[in-house]
Amino acid sequence: MDENKKKILEMLAENKISTDEAYRLLSVLEPEGSTSEGTPKAGTAARMKSKYLRVCVLPGSEHEHGGKGDRVNIRVPMALIRSGMKFTSLLPPEARDKVTGALREKGIDFDMRNLKPEDLDELLEALSDLEVDVASSDGETVKVFVE
Amino acid sequence: MKRPPMLVHVKIRGERRGFNLWIPIFLLLPLALAVFIIVAPLILIAIPIFWPSGWRKRALHIFGAVFEIICSMRGIKVDMQSDHDYVYISAV
Repeated sequence: MDENKKKILEMLAENKISTDEAYRLLSVLEPEGSTSEGTPKAGTAARMKSKYLRVCVLPGSEHEHGGKGDRVNIRVPMALIRSGMKFTSLLPPEARDKVTGALREKGIDFDMRNLKPEDLDELLEALSDLEVDVASSDGETVKVFVE
Repeated sequence: MKRPPMLVHVKIRGERRGFNLWIPIFLLLPLALAVFIIVAPLILIAIPIFWPSGWRKRALHIFGAVFEIICSMRGIKVDMQSDHDYVYISAV
């Protein structure tokens, strides 16, 4: 068994965390195991099945024991991202120019007019591979991934 | 078939007070349908007026996109907790 999973189960047994928290932590760890054990074909199938974009922020160990610290667990359906991106095509040309101009000011050379439906699918497929895992010095972790 | 969320659960807890709300969207849908039936004659009048300006096509697209966004909100979950505050929003 994975060391992290073992630790979570131990914390649950010692009543340091609730079952809900344990489930949340285990679900955060789940994709790591599946990608390392799965074949490339299975990985592609998993990508096709990816339904949610998850953002998790877990407090550091010193906060965790005291029950303090900020916790964030956000689950956004991929369908919502897809619909939201489709919505950009309905923006009036003036608004689109403003957005493009504002992005260019920030150093991002991206023209929304060039965004085609086939690019959108490609972009979302690429998003399935996204995995951000940041750990701060005080133990706080931020995870962004697709499941 | 795409369908909008049936229930929205909103739970907000502050330092002193909070609330826990279940919003039954499925009960609001017949109400929305009734409003749509009432507004339908106005829409029928507006279509020929706005036909030459090209707004008909855009309005239909916007209506479709908004409905699609509402439908794709099923499964959304926001769970945030700080030392004193707690926010939970979920659509099922």
